[in-house]
Amino acid sequence: MMQKEAYLQESTRRWKDSIAHYLNFDIWKYERTLKKLNREGLFLFAFFLVLALFPSLFAPYSPTERFISYESPSIAHLLGTNDIGNDILSELVYGTRISMMVGFASACISTLIGLMIGLCSGYFRGTLDELLMGFTDVVLTIPKIPLIIILGAFLHPSIWTLILVLGLLSWESIARVVRSKTLQIREAGYVKSARCMGFSSFHIMRSEIFPNLTHVLLPKFMLATASAMISEASLSFLGLGDISMKSWGIMLSFAFSRGGFIRDMGWWYIPPGVCITLCVMSIALIGFGFEERDKERGNRGVDAE
Amino acid sequence: MRYEAGATFEGNTLKTVSGTMREVVRKTLRYATSFLLIISLNFALPRLMPGDPVKNLIGEDVYVSEAVMEELRIEMGLNRPLYEQFTAYIGDLLRFNLGYSYHLHSPVAEVLRERIGWTLLFVGVSIFLGAALGTLLGAYAGWKPETKANRLICYGFIALSCTPPYFLALICLDIFAFELGLFPFKGFYDVPTPGSVMYHMFLPVTVMALFSASRNFLIMRGSVIQEKGQLYALYARAKGLYDISILFRHVIKNASLPIITLLALDFGFLFSGALFTEIVFSLNGMGTLIYDAIIGKDYPVLQGSFLVIALAVLLANMLADLLYAIADPRVRRPT
Amino acid sequence: MEWTKSKLLGIAALSILFLGGICLVILPSGDERAFGIETPEADANASAKPEKVLKIATPNVIKSESLVGDYYLGIFAHLSNFPLMQMSEDGKIIGRLADHYEVSEDHKEWTFYIRDDLYWSDGVKVTPEDVRFSMLYYGEKDPAGRWINDTLESSSISETNNSVTFKFNKPYTRIDLEFTTYMIIPRHIWESIENPMEYSSKGPYVGCGPYYIESVDLNTARLIFQKNPYWKGKTCTFDKVEVDWYASEDAACLALEKGEADTYYKYASSYPYANIERLEKTGDFSFVEKDSTGICYLGITLNEAPRSDLRFREALAYAINYEELMQLDTLGYGSVPNKGLVPPGMEYYKPTEKCTYDPEKAREILKKAGYEDRNGNGIVEDKKGKDILLELMICPGYERDAELFQEYFRAVGIDIEVENVDQNTYMDRKDTSRYELVFSRTTPWGMLMHSGLGTGYFDSRRYGYIEDPAFTGLCDQILNTTDSDTLCSCAYSLQDYYAEELPVIPVYWKKVVTPYNKKFEGWHYNNLDGIYTLDTFLDLHEV
Repeated sequence: MMQKEAYLQESTRRWKDSIAHYLNFDIWKYERTLKKLNREGLFLFAFFLVLALFPSLFAPYSPTERFISYESPSIAHLLGTNDIGNDILSELVYGTRISMMVGFASACISTLIGLMIGLCSGYFRGTLDELLMGFTDVVLTIPKIPLIIILGAFLHPSIWTLILVLGLLSWESIARVVRSKTLQIREAGYVKSARCMGFSSFHIMRSEIFPNLTHVLLPKFMLATASAMISEASLSFLGLGDISMKSWGIMLSFAFSRGGFIRDMGWWYIPPGVCITLCVMSIALIGFGFEERDKERGNRGVDAE
Repeated sequence: MRYEAGATFEGNTLKTVSGTMREVVRKTLRYATSFLLIISLNFALPRLMPGDPVKNLIGEDVYVSEAVMEELRIEMGLNRPLYEQFTAYIGDLLRFNLGYSYHLHSPVAEVLRERIGWTLLFVGVSIFLGAALGTLLGAYAGWKPETKANRLICYGFIALSCTPPYFLALICLDIFAFELGLFPFKGFYDVPTPGSVMYHMFLPVTVMALFSASRNFLIMRGSVIQEKGQLYALYARAKGLYDISILFRHVIKNASLPIITLLALDFGFLFSGALFTEIVFSLNGMGTLIYDAIIGKDYPVLQGSFLVIALAVLLANMLADLLYAIADPRVRRPT
Repeated sequence: MEWTKSKLLGIAALSILFLGGICLVILPSGDERAFGIETPEADANASAKPEKVLKIATPNVIKSESLVGDYYLGIFAHLSNFPLMQMSEDGKIIGRLADHYEVSEDHKEWTFYIRDDLYWSDGVKVTPEDVRFSMLYYGEKDPAGRWINDTLESSSISETNNSVTFKFNKPYTRIDLEFTTYMIIPRHIWESIENPMEYSSKGPYVGCGPYYIESVDLNTARLIFQKNPYWKGKTCTFDKVEVDWYASEDAACLALEKGEADTYYKYASSYPYANIERLEKTGDFSFVEKDSTGICYLGITLNEAPRSDLRFREALAYAINYEELMQLDTLGYGSVPNKGLVPPGMEYYKPTEKCTYDPEKAREILKKAGYEDRNGNGIVEDKKGKDILLELMICPGYERDAELFQEYFRAVGIDIEVENVDQNTYMDRKDTSRYELVFSRTTPWGMLMHSGLGTGYFDSRRYGYIEDPAFTGLCDQILNTTDSDTLCSCAYSLQDYYAEELPVIPVYWKKVVTPYNKKFEGWHYNNLDGIYTLDTFLDLHEV
C-alpha cells in the first residue's frame, strides 16, 4: 500500500516536472503561491468564474424567457420574477459574466494605468513627475458624465465603450496613491542599496517597490471593481448604459426604478447587491491570504534603514 | 538615477535654497499649465455634447418659431464662431465674470456662492467624519487584521463600498425617516437655525460619511499592514511601548500618506459626487446643480462649476504635496 | 524638533475639527426633535385656533426662486396669479381671471371681460390694465411669449366694461387655450422690474387668487401660500397651502405615506402606479382616478421604405401586445387605445377601431406586402433583399418597453435595435425627427398644441414628420375656425386619418391616479392641471 502511494506521488511529481520542463514554467513555485492564497477567496472567485463561463448550467431558465410578472419566490422561481416576468435567478446567473467583465476589465485597465503613472512619477520625480501629475490633475478634473455623453454620441454606446471609459477615467486616484507610497518607499534603505548596486530603474521598480505597493493597490483594485460595477448601473440611469447586457448593476437599478423597492420585493434587489459584494469580497479574501503570508514570513522587517 | 542619490548626500544649504526656488517655479508652472488646459476643456466639453441649449431652454411642448430661437442664440452669443466665444469666455474669466445661467435666471457666481456654502457644510463634514472614522478603524483593523471583529468590520465596509449610493441613501431614508420617524425627509432646514440645520443634515451626512469611511478604511488598513512590518515599529516594541501607542505614535503617521491623497481627491468629489444623496434628500447642492446643467446644457453654469471643481482639486493636491512632507520626513528631500 | 511640533499641532487641530464635527452633528439632533415639537405648540398657544395647512408633496422640483422664469414655480403660481382662462372639469375652456370672452368674426379681435371681484393681496383692485400689461410684458420679455409681440397689432381697455381687447394681425382661433398658461401679474409691482425672467426673490409675491405666495425657499424645498386677505370669493378652509418638493419620487412617496403631506401632485402625471397598493394599505388615503389625455405612442418617421409603406405599419401595429405593455407600465391603470390615437377624455373624441394584438395577422400582412424571409434567418427582407432592421430610440425610463418591442417585432420577423440615448440627444433628435422609431409620451398640454388632438407632435411644420397634405390641410382647417360643428367634423376626420394611415401607433392610454387624505373632500380635476385646480382649493373641506 505504502509503496503504491509513494509511487503515485512520485508519478505525479514526475508528470508535473515534465510539464514544467516542457512549458518552461515553474509549477512548484506556482503551487507554493497558490497554497498561500486564501482558500475561501479562491473558491468564491472560482465559483463566480464558473457561473460566468457556463451560465446555462446553473440558470433554470433563459434570462429572456417570460413568466407572470412580480411573482414571489417559489419552487419554480427560487428568487421570484421581475416586472416583465423574467426569472430573477436566471437573470442573476447570466449577469455574472457581464458584471465581472465590466468590473474586472475596467478595474484592470485603471489599475494598470494608475500603477504605471504613479510608479514612474513617484520613482523618477523631477520633471517627469511634474508632467505626469499635471496630466493627472487635468484628467482628474474632467467631468465624467459630459465626457461619457459625448463619447456615447460619437461611438455607439455599448458595454465595450463603457469598460473603456470607466477604465480610462478612474485611474487618477490610483496613480496618486501609488505615487505617494512610492515616494515613501524609494527612500527606504533597500531601495537605496539596490540603486547603489547599480540595478536598473525598471528592475528596482519591479522587484523592490512594486511588491510593497500591493497593500495599497489591492484595496484600490477592489474599490475600482466595485465602483465600475456600480457606475455602470448609475450610467444606465442616465441612458448611457447598454441595456441589452443585463448586469447585476442594471438589475439593481431596474429593481429600484420599477417598483421593487417600494413593493418590498427584497428577493429582487438584494441578490444582485449581495453578488456584487461577494464578488468584490472574493478579491479581498484572496488579498487576506497575502497578508497571512506576510505574517508567516514573520515581522522580520523589510526596512533596512 | 544614481547621480540623484549622490546629490542627496552632499546637499548643502545654498543648494537647497536654490533647489527650493526651482521647485516653486516648477510647481507654479505645472499648476498654471494644468489650469489653462482645464479651462479650455471646460469650454470645449459642454459644447461637444449633443443637443441645442436654446431648445433646452424653451423646454418640451412649447413651440417657438425659428426666428425667436435665432434671436435667443444671438442674445446668448451662441451664433458667434467658437473662437470668438472662447475669447469672450476667457475675457469674462479675467474679469471674474462667470456669466449668466440660462436656466436658473441669475448670475452663475451668485448661484455657485449659495450652493457651495451648503455643499461645503454638508459634504465637508461628511468627508472629515468619514476620514476620521475610516482612518481610525482602518488603522486598528490593519494593526490586528486577524481578529474576528476586525474581519467583520472589514466585510462590512466592503459591502458598503459595493452599495450604490442612491440605494444606501434611500434605504437610510426608509428606515430612519419613514419607519422610525427620527429624521425629516428633505431640505437643509425648516427654519434657518443651527439646530434645525443639524437635525436635517444628520442622515445625509451619515450616508456620505459612511461612503467616505469605507474607502478610507480599506486603504488605511492595507497601508498599516505594510507599515507595521517595518523595523521602526519593531524597535518601538523593543523599546517597550504599548501596542496601541506604537500604532498611534509611529505607524499611523507613515501609513497616512495614501489617506492624505485620498482626502485631496475627495475634495474635488466634494463638489460633484454627492449627486444621489442630494437627490434622495432633496438637497439644493452642487451635485444637482451640475447634473441639471448637463441635462439642460446650461453652458455658463457648467463652465463655472467645473472651474470651481478644478480649482478645488488643484488646491487640495498642492496641500497634499505639502502634507506629505510633514507626515513623512522621508519624502521631504530635495531632488 | 520643529517638524514634530508642527505635526502635533496639525494633528491636534484636525482632531478638534473631527470632534467638533461629531458634536455638531450628534448633540443637537436630540434637542432638535424637542424643538420641532415645541414650535407648533408655541404657535397654538399664541393663536388659540391652530392653523389649518394643506400640504402637497410633489416631485416637480423648483429650480430657481424666479416667479416668471422658473417652469414649475410658474405652474404652482396659477393658484395665486390666475391666468385669464382655465379648463373646466369637462375639458372646456372657461374664464378664470376673465369672466368670459368674445371673439370677432375674423378671429383677429379678442375681448376678455375681467372679473369684478378680484383684488391683489396688497389691496389694489385687479384691472384690465394689469392684464394688458402682463401680456405685453410676456410678449416683450419671455421667449415663449414672443409670438404675442410679433402678432399683436393693438390692445385697448374699456373701463366701463372692465374689459381688455387684443387685436392681432392674423386670425387666431385658439387664444383662449393659449391664455390658460400666462399668469397675470400686478402691474404696479412688476412695472419697475426690468428683467422679469431674471428677477428672483424668496417672496412674498403679490397675487390675486385665494392665496398669495408667501415664500419659496430652495433650501427647505418648500413653497408656502398664505391666504389673500382681500379675496372676495368663496372662503377657503385652509389658512395655508404648502407645496413640498422632493427631488426623488421615492422620497416623495415615502413622505406621503408617512403623512407628511395630504396629497400628491405631479404635473401631467400620475402617482407612481407601483406605489398605489402600498399607500392604500395605510388606510389614510383615497384616490381620484381619471383618464389622462396624455398617451404613450410609437412614432414612425415616414421618410423611407419600409416605414413609408402603410401595410408595413399595419403589420407593426398588429405585432404589438398592447395589453401587456399597458400592464407593465401602468399596472392596469390604463387601457388599450383606439387606432385614432385621441383618448376619450378629450373634446371631439371619436371612437375608432381598437388596437389589437395579432402576430399571425402581422406576419400575413408582411407576406402579402412582399416582405418575406427568403434567406431563412428569421428576419424578413425588404424589397431590395436586405434584412429589415429598424432603430428604436428611447430616453431613460423606457428601457423595459423597448425590450418588449424588440421581442414583439422580432417575433414577426422585424429586427429592432434599441438606441438608449440621454435626455439631451433625445430631445434634439425627437424634435427634428431624426429617428426611425421612437417610443414616447405626450402631455395633456402637448395634445392641445397646434391644432389640438396631438397634431403638435406629428405635423411636420411643428415637431413632427407628417407631410401628407391631407393631414396638414385638416390641421389648417381646424386652425381657421372657432365654429364647433366644423371643428367637430375636422377632428373626426383627423382621427380617421390617424386610424387609417397609422403614421403613429398609440400604445396605451393611461389614468391619472391622485391620492388624497381621507380627512378632506371636495377634490376637482381637469385635464390640464390634474387636481391642482382653483375649484379644488375653493371646495376642499374636512369630512
